[in-house]
Amino acid sequence: MADCEQPADDSADDSAGDSERNRRSFFAILAGGLTLLAPLGAGICAFLSPLFRRVRSPMVRVALLSQVPADGKPHSFPVVTDWRDAWNHYPQKKIGAVYLIRQPGGELPIAFTAKCPHAGCAIGYSAADEKFKCPCHTSVFNIDGSRARGDQEVAPRGMDALEVTLNSLEPEVEGGDPVTEILVKFIDYQTGHIQKKPIA
Amino acid sequence: MKKLANNLVAWLDIRTGFRDVLREALYERVPGGARWRYVWGSTLVVAFVTQLITGIFLWMAYSPSTQTAWESVFFIQHEMEGGWLLRGIHHFMAQAMIVLLAIHFVQVVWDGAYRAPRELNFILGLVLMLIVLGLSLTGYLLPWDQKGYWATNVGTELASQAPLAGGAIRKLVVGGTSYGHHTLTRFFALHAGVLPGALIAFLALHLYLFRRHGLTVKDPKAGPDAMFWPDQMLKDSVAALGVLAAVVGLTVYYGGAELTAPADPANNYAAARPEWYFLFLFQFLKWFKGEAEVWGAFIIPGMITGGLFLMPWIGRYKVGHFFNVVFLFFLLGGAAFLTAQAIHDDTMAGTAEATFEDLKRDGLADTPKNMQAFVASHDFLKAKADAHHDAERVIAIAKSEHGIPPTGALTLVYNDPYLQGPQLFKKNCAVCHNFVDSENLDRRLADLVNKKPTAPNLYGVGSRRWIAAILDPEQIVGPDYFGYPGSPFVGAGDSTDMVDFVERCFSEELKPVDRQKIEVAMQKIAVALSAEAQLPSQRAADVSDQQTIAEGRALMQGGLAELIESGESCTDCHMFDQGQDVGSADLYDGTPILDGYMSRQWLIDFIRNPADQRFYGDNNDRMPAFAPHADVRLNRLDDKSLGLIVDWLRGDWYQPDP
Repeated sequence: MADCEQPADDSADDSAGDSERNRRSFFAILAGGLTLLAPLGAGICAFLSPLFRRVRSPMVRVALLSQVPADGKPHSFPVVTDWRDAWNHYPQKKIGAVYLIRQPGGELPIAFTAKCPHAGCAIGYSAADEKFKCPCHTSVFNIDGSRARGDQEVAPRGMDALEVTLNSLEPEVEGGDPVTEILVKFIDYQTGHIQKKPIA
Repeated sequence: MKKLANNLVAWLDIRTGFRDVLREALYERVPGGARWRYVWGSTLVVAFVTQLITGIFLWMAYSPSTQTAWESVFFIQHEMEGGWLLRGIHHFMAQAMIVLLAIHFVQVVWDGAYRAPRELNFILGLVLMLIVLGLSLTGYLLPWDQKGYWATNVGTELASQAPLAGGAIRKLVVGGTSYGHHTLTRFFALHAGVLPGALIAFLALHLYLFRRHGLTVKDPKAGPDAMFWPDQMLKDSVAALGVLAAVVGLTVYYGGAELTAPADPANNYAAARPEWYFLFLFQFLKWFKGEAEVWGAFIIPGMITGGLFLMPWIGRYKVGHFFNVVFLFFLLGGAAFLTAQAIHDDTMAGTAEATFEDLKRDGLADTPKNMQAFVASHDFLKAKADAHHDAERVIAIAKSEHGIPPTGALTLVYNDPYLQGPQLFKKNCAVCHNFVDSENLDRRLADLVNKKPTAPNLYGVGSRRWIAAILDPEQIVGPDYFGYPGSPFVGAGDSTDMVDFVERCFSEELKPVDRQKIEVAMQKIAVALSAEAQLPSQRAADVSDQQTIAEGRALMQGGLAELIESGESCTDCHMFDQGQDVGSADLYDGTPILDGYMSRQWLIDFIRNPADQRFYGDNNDRMPAFAPHADVRLNRLDDKSLGLIVDWLRGDWYQPDP
């Protein structure tokens, strides 16, 4: 059967036939390739779309100044802000946590993100020995955010401090004391590096 | 009938040639006879087919989005008939596959089955192994529970540290800049589409090459040759059945696969760990300080994996083969050691209830390092127990007539006073107040114990017992009520009227008969006043004790004055049951109104501003006003948190039927 369907004898072809066949092969591959590439290209394009997304680092109100005692100890506050996830808009969603520390006598608190600079787990605070501890790979930080064991720590750098600003709000009642709120720039930093670089 | 069947088979064979294919597939010669040691590859195929079958049925019920993933898995696990079994088989078979892969791999290396001409098939096997590991990684996230979410979070965070394109890789895997819907859709597409598709393709090539080169036989003269069908097939089937039995056994033993609480990006889960077969990588990372992390996460694992791909060429020489075998056992031994170390680190405290005393008893409290390890382990076990507890709670609500709202199960978590109350109380109230049931210590509430309270113990606030204690001359001056350190209500304080009054009622000159009368009266008052709170736990009692309540109210409004020498009753100082007649409110400034005492609205208003005229007025010397402003931005507590704290204090939350 197969023998009968052999094309005409090759040796009879002249060079013109050769180039003709080459051209046909070329267009066959081109057409077939294009047919496959178009859907694949569209798919890859959509697949790569996250690369064009940029991280937003909103200024978030995390607490009132009166909520952070000036005791030099960390106090944890949730970060609540408007949030968009793909097609959903979440008004006032909890997206993370920060520690605020106010030194005795001081006004402006310092803020640390709870995200560990080692591998991104959420750091806890242990009041018993006044240390920040990451529950994943044993990172320990001092109360000022520095690494407890210095370079012997698995974390490459201390806890990431966040920019803090205070904002005074006028109460609606005349003569009432103004209320101060604490705003924090909630930046997501890259883990695993000595330098503190925001995720783009 | 038989003839018809034969004709049909012949008709099909002429048109498809399937008999040749079948013969080719089944009548493979097994030199030296069928052996049990040849079953491992087949068990892996059967395991994969099991995953395909269970996976497709799970797919029919699973919905990948942040509001539906946990919810649909919950539904599979707890509502669909046999769902727990289906999910359990899928879960435990995935783990069995890892074990079978290890056995298969060791056997191939041990037997030198990677030597020419089988190099390519060995490489295909390694690719298949990586695909299976990829399936495990992607599958772990899909239930979108705390366990999978936080463990995978660490995984993608590490991916972002990959040299060169780490950040881009993380974004592509996560489907954006942070975890969300597209993380799930991508992981699901990988888990249920791309990776199984690739696995099928590579498995086909793997089997094709296996057939092309045949079995690697150690001892062809062990016995007479046999055929794959039925001799080896029988052994393979029995082995596969054994694997399935083990998997079903584990599923039944554990009641199916675990589903922890819904993923909560804002709730630190302090027990994030990968699945047990990745624990060695997790533990390995603890060895690398600072920026050396990239070595532990990428370079060394990458080099080892690369080394595995070279095995067929290293193994061409006798010494090379020996090296391969030693290397493999070194790797497996190392992984086993690291796994054991990780498990030991996490569980050395024993239980979440363990204390330092246990550590001392075990003679381990001698070094600071041990103490730290103990604390870390204790925190891990506690986080795990808490997550388990939270999961049970959410599942109980989800199973109730409340169901899960369209916004997802996280809404149930956020709106549940039982889950949120302790956290809010700890943050806002526990600095001053204690919350402890002296008769029944609850480990979960141990955090809320304030050893140096400067305000009353709020456990059971508003209950008959709590109010009766305030009307008891001994208890009212105790630390749980008005006798805490620095209290203005006792001794030389500014507001001793209440304590003085209670002590006057029970003056020591009383005859026992009169004393008893006053005790009975105080009990009735406690019942009446507690009824104002409308506590859910006392609903039935409040209805059945109508008579006592009426008597108690009468006592509060003057009845008591007739019993005690000083001729006073509650309404001499407190406003109570005066309807709209608040013209004389000034008279009561500084004493709490008793209408609706400790009811939901009373407590909310009180916490909003305790210095309000209806409450302590100018007598309030310590408690902050948590929400006095109409503009919510000015308040320390938002209305929702306020409601949750109050509901929790009052024990007002959904309780499943026992």
